[in-house]
Amino acid sequence: MCIMRQGHKEELMEFSEHIKTANVEDVVLHQPLHPPSRGTLCITGHHLLFSDREENSTRQILLLLRNIDAIEKSVENLLGYSSLFSKADYSKRISGSSGTITVKCKDLRVLQLDIPGMEQCLNIAHSIETLSCLNDVSEMYPFFYRPSDLSSQDQWGLSSSEKYYSEHKELHKRWRLSSVNRDYSVCPSYPPAVIVPKDIDDDTLKKVAKFRQSGRFPVLCYYHRKNGMVIMRGGQPLTGANRKRCREDELLLQAVIDSSDKGYIIDTRSSQQVQQARMTGGGFESKSSYSCWKRLHRQMEKGKALQESLIKLVEACGDESQNMDRWLSKLENSKWLSHVQTALSTAGLLAECVERDGHSVLVHGSEGTDCTLLVSTLAQLIMDPCCRTLEGFLALLEREWVQAGHPFQLRCAHSAYSHVRLQQESPVFLLLLDCVWQLWRQFPLALGFSEALLLRLATEAYFSNYGTFLCNNDQERCALGVKEKTYCLFHSLLKPTEKEHYTNPLYEPTDLAIWPSVHPQSLQLWRGFFLRWTPQTRHLEEAQEEIRNMVIEWGKVALS
Amino acid sequence: MEFAELIKTPRVDGVVLHRPFLPTVEGTLCLTGHHLILSSRQDNTEELWLLHSNIDSIEKRFVGSLGSIIVKCKDLRVIQLDIPGMEECLNIASSIEALSTLDSVSLMYPFFYRPMFEVIEDGWNSFLPEDAFKDLESMTDEWRLSEVNKDFSVCPSYPPLVAVPKDIDDETLRKVATFRHGGRFPVLSYYHKKNGMVMMRAGQPLTGTNGRRCKEDEKLINATLRPGKRGYIIDTRTINVAQQAKARGGGIESEANYPQWRRIHKAIERSNVLQESLIKLVEACNDQSHNMDRWLSKLEASNWQTHVKEILTTACLAAQCIDREGASVLVHGTEGTDTTLQVTSLAQIILDPSCRTIRGFQGLVEREWLQAGHPFQQRCAQSAYSNSKPRQEAPVFLLFLDCVWQILRQFPCSFEFSESYLVLLFEHAYASQFVCRLFLRQLHKTVSLWSWVNRHQEIERLTNPLFEANSLVIWPSVAPQSLLLWEGVFLRWNRSSKCLDEAYEEMVHIIEYNKELQNKVNSLRRQLAQLETEDPLLQTP
Repeated sequence: MCIMRQGHKEELMEFSEHIKTANVEDVVLHQPLHPPSRGTLCITGHHLLFSDREENSTRQILLLLRNIDAIEKSVENLLGYSSLFSKADYSKRISGSSGTITVKCKDLRVLQLDIPGMEQCLNIAHSIETLSCLNDVSEMYPFFYRPSDLSSQDQWGLSSSEKYYSEHKELHKRWRLSSVNRDYSVCPSYPPAVIVPKDIDDDTLKKVAKFRQSGRFPVLCYYHRKNGMVIMRGGQPLTGANRKRCREDELLLQAVIDSSDKGYIIDTRSSQQVQQARMTGGGFESKSSYSCWKRLHRQMEKGKALQESLIKLVEACGDESQNMDRWLSKLENSKWLSHVQTALSTAGLLAECVERDGHSVLVHGSEGTDCTLLVSTLAQLIMDPCCRTLEGFLALLEREWVQAGHPFQLRCAHSAYSHVRLQQESPVFLLLLDCVWQLWRQFPLALGFSEALLLRLATEAYFSNYGTFLCNNDQERCALGVKEKTYCLFHSLLKPTEKEHYTNPLYEPTDLAIWPSVHPQSLQLWRGFFLRWTPQTRHLEEAQEEIRNMVIEWGKVALS
Repeated sequence: MEFAELIKTPRVDGVVLHRPFLPTVEGTLCLTGHHLILSSRQDNTEELWLLHSNIDSIEKRFVGSLGSIIVKCKDLRVIQLDIPGMEECLNIASSIEALSTLDSVSLMYPFFYRPMFEVIEDGWNSFLPEDAFKDLESMTDEWRLSEVNKDFSVCPSYPPLVAVPKDIDDETLRKVATFRHGGRFPVLSYYHKKNGMVMMRAGQPLTGTNGRRCKEDEKLINATLRPGKRGYIIDTRTINVAQQAKARGGGIESEANYPQWRRIHKAIERSNVLQESLIKLVEACNDQSHNMDRWLSKLEASNWQTHVKEILTTACLAAQCIDREGASVLVHGTEGTDTTLQVTSLAQIILDPSCRTIRGFQGLVEREWLQAGHPFQQRCAQSAYSNSKPRQEAPVFLLFLDCVWQILRQFPCSFEFSESYLVLLFEHAYASQFVCRLFLRQLHKTVSLWSWVNRHQEIERLTNPLFEANSLVIWPSVAPQSLLLWEGVFLRWNRSSKCLDEAYEEMVHIIEYNKELQNKVNSLRRQLAQLETEDPLLQTP
């Protein structure tokens, strides 16, 4: 892989002030699943590069600095003990000191670097600390990454509201594509084009946007071909303490369902939380104003609670006490599996309303950028076979997460090891991938993609060579020219060479809905992700690799 | 027949059967001496044939004159029979209760079972100690096969033939037997080809409170050590439990009398504690509440996974002593018929690749469990649903199978058999039409489970398609995070495995197709090579 090119000189200039020591020889790297190795450590504006010079083979380990969640350093002055060392430790005695940096990554890997020389160690540590949390998006690596096998002329992205609308001709009778948000002025976190009921004009939409949190007026996100029912999503209505109403909002929702019909509103907060939200300007759709809609409440955790849950879980997974009771109670205390269960069962409820009861549903929580998307995505996977192919799933993620304005930049700034005070971090997207993995495990034939894809996405969201998960919404991406200046992850995943790795060899499409079991006994810890760096999962990966190789082999045989 | 008096109502019509994952069936219920049969009397509907010995407990419920019997099986399945008529229902229930708790072994079904399959191989003769010893003889001449126990008088729970050090004569063995619990003098359990180290097993030494010693015992176990080498004694009890055992005549090998041996104590639970753990675990698995915290705390409170971990850890320790430290090992607990066998058999699975094949594993179970005298009859009399007070019941064998499953899961390519094989052994340990658990002396009257398993159709179902012979020692991870609940047994009747089974079939299909294609490629290559040699024109176009 090429990391430094001519065009990167500027980059190096900008970052050079943070790099006092760029090169250290004789560093020992300890990483999980490998024996320790000795070599040279380099630090650049975006990478930590370790090259193993022990044998003739030059093994290189390239780590994106953005991947580093936290570091711990310990230095010791060895001069006082120098008499204890033999001649073999001569070089150590000369420098008189050494240091160790423990690097904790966002992909949950923990590395250790033994660096000779206290000063060098401190310099390296300082550079890592500064460079790994630079906040300026335009200085991030995706803007410098130039892969040889992708052309920047390639189209960016796989799906959009426009594409979805044109693919679903059945929509055209009652729905239209509105470009009311073309300059992001009505709702900054929405894409320029959205699908809304045909009878609702742009002026009405503007008024509705004022009544919904962050301007997120209800838009269509899924059309159920079987019975013509839809899933809508939006922000909470801003009814406030004095129960404000908005005629236009009521009209819009009325237009979603036929006058005779009724619909469901799934609120991802408890009815108590909803009442409290009124005090801060939020609220809910009252029975009196929305008589055709039935409200269902499901309390889903988000924000800080979710981040803390992840931190506890990762801590439990790293616990080396070898005590079974302690492991199980720590796993329980982390509550992570409870969150998985709630998310899956709420999605199941949503799918049931649409598929079994035959009603349209509006989903929202407060902002409508986290749990709302989690639930609507999972429900689509449950109901719609088109979302279960590799391409379909990536397109779904693009529509429901990237374009629907999930604030990746804020949510994925730090992961489970960070010591930084939590702000907006929350592993909502990771929770989604965990839920998808549960589906994948319960229906090993029904999904066209592999666990490797989920693992890849779980890390790409936190640090990436690609621009797909940069920024918080389309508007920000547009302002920074992300689509022009970076490469699209989804296209790269679909390249023939990569695609092989991310398809499920057992895939057999089914038109049926796949209803997951949400019994606690049915849900498992996602070991592939959370225990990825412990030795035992490797054997499982080898077995899966075995099958994959076979499928690839007979693909080749069939061709020749 | 003696059973007739226990059966007041042999037949009831209009009975409705509810089973997990299957549609309800209405039909006729028949009770025979050994089976509960429900048949809809229509073609192509499955009948239910349930062995009475598989029934762990029943519950009766009445709504008006419609009675329901809830039958809880030892394989953890729960089924319900709706029976019209209160009297019939009560009769059936009391018959089931009586028939399912018959104590006399010779009345049990295996003595009546006549196979519908052709016995191509007599399983009783497949794994004779003589044959195992032939292998050993080819590697070493330090051991001999002793007939001292040929009439079971020296040790009632040992087989007639046992392997002991060559220099120890039968007279010495008789003396040692009086010094070991249950007469279980130290015998060879495993010979490690790589370095010639051995694993032995025995009962505890009967030192008592005044520190009795037995020169012959010392001589016997020292005879297994190479000159200048030390050995390890792995005691499956904690030091406290072992010390307390002295008051009841038991004890430990003191350092003074066994200076060449280092004692290591581990804490593997036994008997009632294990049975209670199983009961709690099964209760947790059947809990219908949708509460994640509750499930995890119940799982934790059952302590089952802790037992799995302790057993695996001890087995790894024994294997480590042999393979890494190059030392011989003697394993014992109290009787030497439970935890001892768990440790010795698991250590062999870790160390010896031949134990990971289908036949090798059969041989292992035969040697280390059946012939080594694990009291299956007592341990497996009741399973997790029984209401009767547990006496000698303990899921020792099930825990062993669970541990094997954990290793199998961690090394999916290293075993020739699949999970189904382990599940099958679990079912048959608790209720079987084959004998695998009955007393050895009565064997000739019954059919061995191995005869059935080793038929071609069965072997196929039980084979692991991913198997690739691995001649290495496999070290399982025993970190709590690495150990999983064995869903194939404990959640088998709660969660439908339809989708997982389909995926498994698909995987098997892929592997078979791959083999087929590879054969095709090979034969085409051969043809091509042949053509090239036959037709010189091809080479010079």
